[in-house]
Amino acid sequence: MSKALPAPAAPSPAAARAPAKRRKRGGARRTDNLMGYLFIAPWLVAFFAFTLIPIIASFVLAFTNYDVLNPNWSWVGLQNFERMFTRDPRYIKSLQATFFYAFTAIPLRLAFALAVAMLLNTHRRGVSTYRAAYYAPSIVGGSVAVAVMWREIFGADGLINAILGTDITWLGNPNTAIWTLIVLAVWQFGSPMLIFLAGLKQIPREFYEAASIDGANGWQQFWGITLPLLTPIIFFNLVMQLISGFMVFTQAFIITGGAPLDTTLFYALYLYQRAFVSLQMGYASAMAWVLLAIVGIMTALVFRSSSYWVFYGSQEEN
Amino acid sequence: MRNRMSTFAVLLLVMALLLSACAPAAAPAGAPAAEGESTEAAAAEAGDGAPSELRVAWWGSQNRHDRTIAAIELFEQLHPEIKVVYEFSGWDDHWTKMTTQAAGGNLPDVMQQDYARLEEWVSRGLLMPLDAYVADGTLNFDNVSESALAGGIIDGQLYGVNLGTNSMVIVIDADKLAEAGLEAPSPDWTFADFEQLATQLHENLGVYGFTGGLSNEQLWKNLYLSLGEWIYNEDGSALGYADDQPLIDYLSMVKRMQDTGVIPTREMEVAEAGSSVEDNYIVSGDAAMTYVWSNQLVALSAAAGEGRNFLLVPMPRPEGGASTNYLKPSMFFSITSQAKNPDAAAMFIDFFTNDIEANKILMAERGVPVSSAVREALQPELDVAQQQIFNYIADIESSVSPIPPPDVAGHANVMNNVYWPLVMDPFFYGQQSLEDTVRILREQADAVLAESAAQ
Repeated sequence: MSKALPAPAAPSPAAARAPAKRRKRGGARRTDNLMGYLFIAPWLVAFFAFTLIPIIASFVLAFTNYDVLNPNWSWVGLQNFERMFTRDPRYIKSLQATFFYAFTAIPLRLAFALAVAMLLNTHRRGVSTYRAAYYAPSIVGGSVAVAVMWREIFGADGLINAILGTDITWLGNPNTAIWTLIVLAVWQFGSPMLIFLAGLKQIPREFYEAASIDGANGWQQFWGITLPLLTPIIFFNLVMQLISGFMVFTQAFIITGGAPLDTTLFYALYLYQRAFVSLQMGYASAMAWVLLAIVGIMTALVFRSSSYWVFYGSQEEN
Repeated sequence: MRNRMSTFAVLLLVMALLLSACAPAAAPAGAPAAEGESTEAAAAEAGDGAPSELRVAWWGSQNRHDRTIAAIELFEQLHPEIKVVYEFSGWDDHWTKMTTQAAGGNLPDVMQQDYARLEEWVSRGLLMPLDAYVADGTLNFDNVSESALAGGIIDGQLYGVNLGTNSMVIVIDADKLAEAGLEAPSPDWTFADFEQLATQLHENLGVYGFTGGLSNEQLWKNLYLSLGEWIYNEDGSALGYADDQPLIDYLSMVKRMQDTGVIPTREMEVAEAGSSVEDNYIVSGDAAMTYVWSNQLVALSAAAGEGRNFLLVPMPRPEGGASTNYLKPSMFFSITSQAKNPDAAAMFIDFFTNDIEANKILMAERGVPVSSAVREALQPELDVAQQQIFNYIADIESSVSPIPPPDVAGHANVMNNVYWPLVMDPFFYGQQSLEDTVRILREQADAVLAESAAQ
């Protein structure tokens, strides 16, 4: 790296004095640069082939009616975008389902993660085993196997009905189906939990000691100390979860397939159906770009709001 | 200057790298292909040489994969000059794979095709007409009736060879019928008879009188086929029937049966979505009747186990209508227009159609074989369920309705984005009146169809 980037000031005096020498040194530098690019070539190739070119292609396709098989595709201007918001009732349903999921599953998961993190923030013996155990669901939770298992658990003859002694069609009822997916999401609280745990460890113990001397109970300590000092961590977790929440796919794809009545037709699932079932690649690409805009706006809103509720210790001192 | 030079160098480098990165992948793929072609040409002249490659792709269950691979091995024994490379998958993956390969110009020589998609693939120039191979005898159809081949003919040319004949069938649990003291229905029974029988079975035995997706689009198709019409018009730009009343009558019957508990509700169907034939309520004895495609009876009886007696009856029809049944080619083998080895592909399809030993391996898993010689040879080896299927197809052959046209280009779009989400589900979940339901079906389906027909 340091060889590839020699001091930028060096060439000009050298060039003034000896032009011939400059050319030689320039050539050497170019070889160095070439070597450098050669080293990062594997990454570059993959980046161009699997990221940049598909991104550009998807942007171009968003303005076409390309459908894979038909060679006679044509430009349709903004028609794909217009259809989304004016002539596609399922698109509106997919937005509703996604927002409902994001606004229930994410707060619940964060709350659950924080609660478990606080329970595990002790020095009891074997606590690291517990931490590993509680983290496990978030490793396996996104997998196909767990999704299939979830289907069975909530099936008509499944575990939940057996325990409750009920006969509820969890996955067929439009009021309950999405909640099976939300419960699954909450169960995968592992990674925000670990981050919360790290945040909790950074809160100085003296604060709590001082508070308890002043007679604050546990609940007051939580509201007065833990939560305010944890807001940067909550903020970070919220942004990360928001982004992944809007892209949720696997669970709905396997467990409900978007049914019943499109109540679990998440945005990414609908996009997939349009792209790979109906083969409307143009429309699906347009949807993908709108999703990018939605996630961008939501993230920007969270960032904007952060000045009202995220508390950084240094600000308070100023 | 320096900047521009280095930018240029980077660009050059990147392009060189991209090209070189492509090269190792392209070279091994390209070189043997070129070799293959030359040896193939040599083989064609000299009559022997290194094996030429034949690529075959199909969808199906594990059972089908095993049988097909065994038949392919037999084919390779008979034709050592041909090396068969095969790809198999489930239904969805098959089509994802095939469309991707079509876009990449990389389709296999032989692909399994479906009646619903055949026309679309032909209209896009992806399949090869087979008439020349029929004319020169590579494809021998001496023992195959014209009606069995009809499904593969589009605009007068043969694009797919029928791998087996299927038809829909009502399966009745004969023991339950006897237990309830009821008579077997006649082959030309109506929906009114059907509702009555199902209701009586339900009331007498306390099980579901019937189970199976009565809101499935297949029933919608059958309904209008029976009335001498079709759900789509000829160019696929709109619905093909003017009168909604038969559909209204049919849907209100299904809703009535759901509401009275004679059949499982749509909600239960959705919750069980993706269940296989083996999970059918008739298998567990919780229902007295169901419907399946005739080839599925094998799996159904296998799951039900020994000592069960099933009765096969044609599908019920609307009052005054013709048969709702037709003989459907269960699937086809087609040669793609991107095939590198079409001659071997035609030989392979002929082998699949006519070779007795191969069909003893395949054992009618894809439906009743189209060749009468093969059917005769298989007769002594059939088990009870297969025997029933062969007899059922033979019984209804003379009275069925003519096969309806293949699904139009917009069909999948109508199903995924109109029929289920906007029509059937809201109605059966009780969120939409019947009047609105048929009106929305017409409005939305017409819009989708007009758009895809214009493309």
